[in-house]
Amino acid sequence: MQNNGFLRTALGLYTALFIIFLYGPFVVMGILSFQAGPEGGPQFPIIEWSTYWYRHVFGLTPPSRVAPLPIGEALLRSLTLAFATMVVSTVLGTLTAQGFRRNFRGSGPVFYLVVLGMMVPGVLLGLGMALVADQLDIARTWWGTAFVLHVVYTFPFAFLVMLAIFNRFDKSVEEAAWALGVSPGRTFRKITFPMIFPGVLSAMLFAFTLSYDEFPRTLFTGGSEVTMPIAIYGTFAVEIHPNIFAFGVLTTLFSFALLSTYGILMAMSVRRAKFAAVQEDIE
Amino acid sequence: MADQTVPAVGTAGPARRQSGFFARHSTWLLLAPGIVWMVLFLVVPLGMMVYVSFWTQTTFSISSDLTLQSWITFFSSETYFGALLRTLKIWIIVLALTFVIGYPTALFIGQFVRDKTVQTILLVTCVIPFWTSFLIRVLAWRPMLGLEGAINIVLLRLGIISEPIEVLLFTELSVVIGMVQIYVVFMVGPIAFMLARIDESLIEAARDLGASTWTIFRKIIFPLSLPGVVVGAIFVSVMVLGEFATASALSGRKVNLLGNIIVTQVGSLKWAFAAVIGVVLTVIMAIVIGGLLRVVNLRREL
Repeated sequence: MQNNGFLRTALGLYTALFIIFLYGPFVVMGILSFQAGPEGGPQFPIIEWSTYWYRHVFGLTPPSRVAPLPIGEALLRSLTLAFATMVVSTVLGTLTAQGFRRNFRGSGPVFYLVVLGMMVPGVLLGLGMALVADQLDIARTWWGTAFVLHVVYTFPFAFLVMLAIFNRFDKSVEEAAWALGVSPGRTFRKITFPMIFPGVLSAMLFAFTLSYDEFPRTLFTGGSEVTMPIAIYGTFAVEIHPNIFAFGVLTTLFSFALLSTYGILMAMSVRRAKFAAVQEDIE
Repeated sequence: MADQTVPAVGTAGPARRQSGFFARHSTWLLLAPGIVWMVLFLVVPLGMMVYVSFWTQTTFSISSDLTLQSWITFFSSETYFGALLRTLKIWIIVLALTFVIGYPTALFIGQFVRDKTVQTILLVTCVIPFWTSFLIRVLAWRPMLGLEGAINIVLLRLGIISEPIEVLLFTELSVVIGMVQIYVVFMVGPIAFMLARIDESLIEAARDLGASTWTIFRKIIFPLSLPGVVVGAIFVSVMVLGEFATASALSGRKVNLLGNIIVTQVGSLKWAFAAVIGVVLTVIMAIVIGGLLRVVNLRREL
């Protein structure tokens, strides 16, 4: 099949078009974020190139009819929430995946119970939780009702990642260490942890980004103190301005920074694992 | 409990060496936190939703007297039932389009690119847009589709059209375009993954036996990629059926899906109606996923 030159060229061209389709709105957003302000709207033509809307995001422009994005506190909340979600769901995911390393009766239902968390649409889960909170008279807050739902959503991802890691994990290395009388703590530090570390990192990355961008679940359960996505959703109702695009570009850059950190940590962990293996040989 | 589970995380060994009771139950101790969390915060809320859908809703309050009133209202109301049909229509269209648009790309990445590095680069390229907030990606379609949007400008400059196309923004079409662009990657990924796993010798054997490219595709490649299609379809279905943000951003609140109605009802504290729609959505979702899983046995294929 891959020898068919014509088909190959055609599909290659198609894929290029496909990628343009994926990036189109993204590029337009980037261009429009440099629109002149505050009179320039979120549409073409560009009146004049400027960084006005970037300064607007940071509150460095004189007050105008365009209200600044309520990002300061919302961003802090979103980051805190994402961090807490990341920690809890990675721990839960690792524990559960560890439980799955041995076959046990009832593994099917437990597996589906966990995976259900990523399958149920956010709007339903948010609604259900809002109903529960309403009946039990629990205040709806981003650090309470919204947080537990974020974990319900991200824990399955962490679980699946860790399950995949444990499936490929060579148990005999661990067993050899115990057989040689290495203490469990040292075995964990020297053998198990380095082996599962890439998985833990991926699970953390999944949990953090999913929670950071989470929105339907938070909408009903987050209460009056909004997180970042809810703040952006609030701008849907009113007129949109290019400041939202400038903010989009900035968050994308932030995401890239995060992804790069992940990549670097991953590369370092691989190198350290190799290095440790050599060290153990010498010892 | 913490004292027992923490050492067991990395070192199943000590737990295993202890015979009898604890060894048998260490699995359940490890699973307990996760199971408890999911039961409390996933099963209970969904159960609550079903229960509340039978409560009595009046304009200003809700009481726990059981009634079918909200259900009757839902199915006899033009607005609600219309929203159900519209949701199903948009779901079918988006599902079909993500498949048709996504499959050739997956085919190229999975079958025609044999270099693993290039494969990875192409897949990562497809995923990068996901690093922008979902809501901002949706909003970015507005300057694309509007009367003075990028698409109209380009088409006018090229002389393909003489009048700007009006139906592009604030219609069902704009909702479909937005959703397809946002969700198509969930179709491409799983299909490309399955295609890349196909044993090359299978295709060579078929070619040696004189099979045409089309026959090879129809008899070998497509059937083997089917699990990927099913996984992609489940992803897309789950997300599109529960959607409301794209619809409200790109239709100017003119296109109301079931999700949008839930949001409106919750906003006006009509919990029972919201719950009825939630249950309807859950049932649709269960039927769709159940149906898709019958097409292929995922646990065997993956």
